[in-house]
Amino acid sequence: MKHESVPIYWRNIPQYYRLVAKRCKKCGATYFPPVVRCRCGSLELENVELPREGKLVEFTVLYQVGTDFLKQKPLIIGIVELANGVRVTGQIIDAQPNKLTPGTKVETVFRRVVVDGKHGLVMYGYKFRPVE
Amino acid sequence: MKDVYIVGAALHPVGRHYGKNIDDMAAEVLEKAIGDAGVDVDAVLVASSTAELAERQQLLGSYILESLGLNKTPAFRVENGDGSGGAAISMAYGLLKSEEYNCVAVVGVDKPNDVLSNQQQDIYAAVVDTYFERYFGVTPLSQAALMAKMYLKKYEYRYEDLAQWALLMHNNGVGNPYAYLRRQVKLEDAVNSELVSEPLRLYDIGPLADGAAAAVLCNNRKDGPRLLSVSASTNSTPFNAREDYDVLYSLRDASQLAFKKAKITPRDIATAEVHDSFSILGVLAVEGLGMAQKGGALAAVKDGALPVNLSGGLKSRGNVLGATGVYQLVEVAWQLLGREFKRVDGSYGVIHSMGGVDRFSTVAVVAL
Ligand SMILES: [Zn+2]
Repeated sequence: MKHESVPIYWRNIPQYYRLVAKRCKKCGATYFPPVVRCRCGSLELENVELPREGKLVEFTVLYQVGTDFLKQKPLIIGIVELANGVRVTGQIIDAQPNKLTPGTKVETVFRRVVVDGKHGLVMYGYKFRPVE
Repeated sequence: MKDVYIVGAALHPVGRHYGKNIDDMAAEVLEKAIGDAGVDVDAVLVASSTAELAERQQLLGSYILESLGLNKTPAFRVENGDGSGGAAISMAYGLLKSEEYNCVAVVGVDKPNDVLSNQQQDIYAAVVDTYFERYFGVTPLSQAALMAKMYLKKYEYRYEDLAQWALLMHNNGVGNPYAYLRRQVKLEDAVNSELVSEPLRLYDIGPLADGAAAAVLCNNRKDGPRLLSVSASTNSTPFNAREDYDVLYSLRDASQLAFKKAKITPRDIATAEVHDSFSILGVLAVEGLGMAQKGGALAAVKDGALPVNLSGGLKSRGNVLGATGVYQLVEVAWQLLGREFKRVDGSYGVIHSMGGVDRFSTVAVVAL
């Protein structure tokens, strides 16, 4: 993939670095990725940082990857349910697939996601790793 | 309101067409379809998912018409990912129902083989959320794999049961002169094929292929199959926040409306073409259309009685991305007519065109 736009990365930093979601002040629904309008109709949403602990809902080991991830394959892609019930899709790292099952406890960590050699861009974000 | 009929159509064989430009391929089928219909069209809708990404071409409609020496006809581009074909059919239907135009051509085209195979993965992955999915390496394949894993567990199937989908598709594709992979396969080939995103293997993926298809739809002519209804729905719930992973919500909502408007039930379906970009999505589509009960599609596939994807589906005909929905419409029309396909026993056909993994669906009901 070509990474020609620094602003795209820069404006997502609050989400990529700290898992910042939007919570509806009226009904309490929490959205990740963030939204501008709640399904209840309310436009009053506030930023809220998601908990770092959660459990795995399900995962797959992905062998056919895009050009950014050729050196990192296979990727483990999982759905994680955080402690407050909000779910996030992302990479599961530092894990052996045969030891992962739904329910495995995980925590959010901060890692390098993409290194674009051509433009010297190193981009970071959240990933999840199992905790003992 | 006037009724809408499919009065002309043409398909380009699906495959690797290194010798043709994207506008050439589209123009070729458009010319044939217009000739087949024997009418002048008032407008052209162009469905393409990847023209900008693979060909760096915008304003595709104008270049297609230039190839045909046609001038002044309005041409509109429709992009809804790999569901672009269904979206364009939906738009054409609306334009004809409103009587803004009398004859509209829908042409679908994509040429994924104009880029290298790992670039194809990047391009196809543009249908997932760029910032919160694709950025982290999530692809449509990995989403389908997660759904497959949960489905197989929930309904206590083995991988071998899922592999039956590929066998059925290849079996059907043999009879389609336009299909990309026209050969039968064995269960062991599927089961031993390369693991791509577990539990899915290579045989669970519809191969990306080049293709173009066109149909001419008119409201002032009554020859040809009739489009009874077309409905579309978007599912805007992100993948991580889905309630269920064994329901295609966009299809469910579009099909309920399409069946209601057409006044038919799933039992009336003599032939269905569904969007099986990955085997599991075809399985869920069969259930979403009501052709099998929830969790029952793989059992029904094994019984062999399902009239689904007689073209071979995306697995055997090939995944022609944004052109797929237009292929499906022509295939169903021709199956009902017994033209270039074996005539099906019945009067109603249904197509399901989908963008991404349950992000957008169009359901169209066709009657002879
Ligand atoms: Zn709310």
